Amino acid sequence: MLVGIDVGGTFTDGVLLAGGEIVSSAKHPTDEARLQETILAVLDELIKGVEAASIERVVLSTTLVTNLLATGRGEETALLLIPGPGLNLHRMELVPNTYIVDGAIDFRGRMTKPLNNAEVEEAGEKIAAQGIRKVAVVGKFSQRNNRHELQAGEILKKKHPGFDIVLGHQVSGQLNFLRRAVTTYYTAMTQDRWQRFAREVEKAITERGVDAPVEILKADGGTMLLPVSERYPCETVFSGPAASAMGAFALTMDQQTSVIVDIGGTTSDLAFILEGKPLYASKGAVIGGKYTHVRSFAVRSIALGGDSTVRWNGEKVTVGPDRQGVAACFGGPGPTPTDAFNLLGNGPLGGVEYSRAALARVAGEAGLSPEALAGAVVEQVVDQLTWNIKDMFKSWEQEPAYKVWEIVNKRKVTLDRVIGIGAAAGAFIPALASRLNCGSLVHKYSPVANALGACVARPTLSLVLHADTQQGTYALNQDGITGSISNRLQMEDVKKLAREHLVRMAHERGMGKYADQCEYFLEEQFNVIRSWSTVGRLFDVGIQIAPGVIEEFKGVK
Amino acid sequence: MRGTELRPTQTGIVFFPAFDWAISPTHPEREERLLYTRDQLFEEGVMDLPQIREYQPRLVELKDIARVHFCVPSIEAQITEAHRISAGGALVIADAVMNKEVRNGFALVRPPGHHSMRVSHGNRGFCNINNEPIMIEYLRKKYGLKKIAIVDTDVHHGDGTQDIFWHDPDILFISFHQDGRTLYPGSGFTNEIGGPLALGTTLNVPLPPGTTDAGIHYVLDNLVIPVLEKFEPELVVNSAGQDNHYTDPLANMRFSARGYATLNEKLAPDIAVLEGGYSVETALPYVNMGIIMAMAGIDYSNLYEPDYQASKFKESPERMQRLEQIVKELTTVFDNRDALVAAARQKYEKFYSRHRSIFYDTDYIHEDQQETLRMCPDCPGYWTIDSQAVHQMGDNSRVYCISVPLRGCPDCQRDATELYEKMTANPDRRFDFIYLQDRVDDVYRQYDCRLKRERVF
Repeated sequence: MLVGIDVGGTFTDGVLLAGGEIVSSAKHPTDEARLQETILAVLDELIKGVEAASIERVVLSTTLVTNLLATGRGEETALLLIPGPGLNLHRMELVPNTYIVDGAIDFRGRMTKPLNNAEVEEAGEKIAAQGIRKVAVVGKFSQRNNRHELQAGEILKKKHPGFDIVLGHQVSGQLNFLRRAVTTYYTAMTQDRWQRFAREVEKAITERGVDAPVEILKADGGTMLLPVSERYPCETVFSGPAASAMGAFALTMDQQTSVIVDIGGTTSDLAFILEGKPLYASKGAVIGGKYTHVRSFAVRSIALGGDSTVRWNGEKVTVGPDRQGVAACFGGPGPTPTDAFNLLGNGPLGGVEYSRAALARVAGEAGLSPEALAGAVVEQVVDQLTWNIKDMFKSWEQEPAYKVWEIVNKRKVTLDRVIGIGAAAGAFIPALASRLNCGSLVHKYSPVANALGACVARPTLSLVLHADTQQGTYALNQDGITGSISNRLQMEDVKKLAREHLVRMAHERGMGKYADQCEYFLEEQFNVIRSWSTVGRLFDVGIQIAPGVIEEFKGVK
Repeated sequence: MRGTELRPTQTGIVFFPAFDWAISPTHPEREERLLYTRDQLFEEGVMDLPQIREYQPRLVELKDIARVHFCVPSIEAQITEAHRISAGGALVIADAVMNKEVRNGFALVRPPGHHSMRVSHGNRGFCNINNEPIMIEYLRKKYGLKKIAIVDTDVHHGDGTQDIFWHDPDILFISFHQDGRTLYPGSGFTNEIGGPLALGTTLNVPLPPGTTDAGIHYVLDNLVIPVLEKFEPELVVNSAGQDNHYTDPLANMRFSARGYATLNEKLAPDIAVLEGGYSVETALPYVNMGIIMAMAGIDYSNLYEPDYQASKFKESPERMQRLEQIVKELTTVFDNRDALVAAARQKYEKFYSRHRSIFYDTDYIHEDQQETLRMCPDCPGYWTIDSQAVHQMGDNSRVYCISVPLRGCPDCQRDATELYEKMTANPDRRFDFIYLQDRVDDVYRQYDCRLKRERVF
């Protein structure tokens, strides 16, 4: 049996799945201050009366790191940058405790200016004097040559053995120095706290007699084992929307193009599945207002939910962006979209008189009947969702492209359906689908689809290998791995090399059985021509185990 | 209230490196050209900056090309899809600037275009069609702009752009470049100042080889900027080549990335379009970065090439003296342009004509042109070009091109149309094609004399 638990901002949902059927589900309010307790309470309810040994896998999604970063409760960290020529970082507001030292590596990984050791030592003294122990060291183009980062790390460690140092090239090898800096900084900030949490949770689960791998859901919709996650705490952010998207994926598992609408109390989250594949954000996740290298789904959160406040502004009805409480029909203080739906449907949620009374107060101001107002509210919700869905599609279509082929074969898709997720989905999805002129799906498992998504998501792994035959080197964008290569390497050899690394890393991460499901997603080759002859080749090869569902899961019954 | 309108603050960028297009595998204009620029821009995270807004290029319409060029035998034969995207990238930036989505914009596109002339029989100086004039004619047609200035900062003379606006007094074309006696295309001397009805709105500054930042900035401060102030254009375009750089393999100048950044800060172009620049590793990543930073108002004091030494970019007294002479000469030309035109009217009565030979270096084509301009008292005058091209393999083609300017008067439009109709009613077998470019009505005709068929854009 499989367990999936999704920690949301308001509620934590869990499901127990056996043979494609949800055997039981649980829902508890989320206590941010005591996340372990919330998770364990849900787990205990799920496995009550079940043989603990029959649990084969537990997957969690959490908000721990997201909240640590959003509320600035991470450990105090210093950022040491080796930027070289380019933007003047002295004049930019980055993060507190930023130190900039001299030294430069260029885009081919050539050192163009040696590292200024004295400046590194000086920075180390200042960091130590402030009592800071966590240091993120990040150089521009460190993924092409990690020499300066290693050197700076050694200098700091030698003088200050108590420093805990995280190097940029080990966190992310993608192009974009500032994102690498932020991601490395966030990693250093949250690593210890996350490690403690991961170990406590694993221990508590083992104590319950569950002898199964415990995995954590990542922003990219894949999972990783808890011990592996200790190195990559930032990848656990925004796993809530990823859980919903994977839930929708698990409920459908076909080649259609869908928009996933997860209507919560305060907000609605939108995500896409394009021809059967969840859509990634072209840029990494934005955490605490800063761009990172954390790979995540393209999600948009809008301040519009089932409990949003309904008002009359003198001209028209408005919905949200705030929430004052639950819907009137559930004892809340004022009218909400949920009440509008309840009234129009003649009370499917119960308490229709409360819905009517609450709506009547606002309807009075507007000079409308409660029913007319309810109609306007539903219209308003559908309008806002429609506009956002179309706008998201538009931005996806307008994403920059760098090849002739991509512009000529411009991306254009048509929407097949809307998939509703969350308890309030049933109320608005059919009207939204008819506005968007497509099909709709509100599954009986929709209310717990997020937990289901966590439950069946498979591990993911993605890497890009950059090879430069003229320099005779290659580097992976994961874990800071580098090596040397022959200058006669061809595309096929580079692809093989990338695959070997992926397979090795998959085994190291306890996901070896998915290694043969990897696929190439990037194949670029450039000839380096100097004085009219080819002196080398540059290759970029991307290979991944894409998001999907575990082998055991064949769809819901 | 118009005064409270929100003014755009961002700089628009179309980055189109055409990673799947090359003239030939080892040609300077190959896939690799903007690869390191991409690495530099992306590693810097330029596209994330709040000052930057990135756009996707689009395909230019064939009509937008026909508004500028007479393509032989057809537009399709002269271009690849990469050309359509490169020109389309410039139009995307033009629209973004005109719609006030952005304050200014940079089309970082390839292939380039500034050697491509009105008649295009093939590829000249790596160019088939000319991106900036296509953009400028589009801007004039779509947004009704009248006066536009182009400053060509490529190390090679922008002879194509010069040719396209030779007879157009509403477009100010200023090119500074390495002296034509020492570099392709061998033109761009101070005596090339425009056709008889547009004298003084073409200005050429042939720079002595080895000119540095200081020299170019002298020209900028003392000629380009004062002339722009007097001309009062509604829009300034930088035809932004990067081969004045001290590491460029095809030229001999000593301009630095910081020099380029300062140039763009002073010039403050509304739109910059990438032209040449073939030092793919040591110049382009830094120069492109510098132009973007300057246009977006980002501090570029920390931008420099790895081997940059400020002391190396001072000017020699001999070169400075030469530049002073040129600036003086051209300032006089510009200030007296009305008198020069009046004198030309006296000299040529009804028609002016000239003969020219044009060589296409990339495609080995020899072209002979007989050009005639109507000395119209009311408008810039319609003109014709009788063009004969001998190709490498001995094939011949001959075309007759007629063009009515955007501001063409009813007489010129009528005469030009009559001429086209007469020539196509009974086509002369010596010509392959006859063209009528009617910018007043925005109609572009091409008549195939063999097949007796007309194509209209």
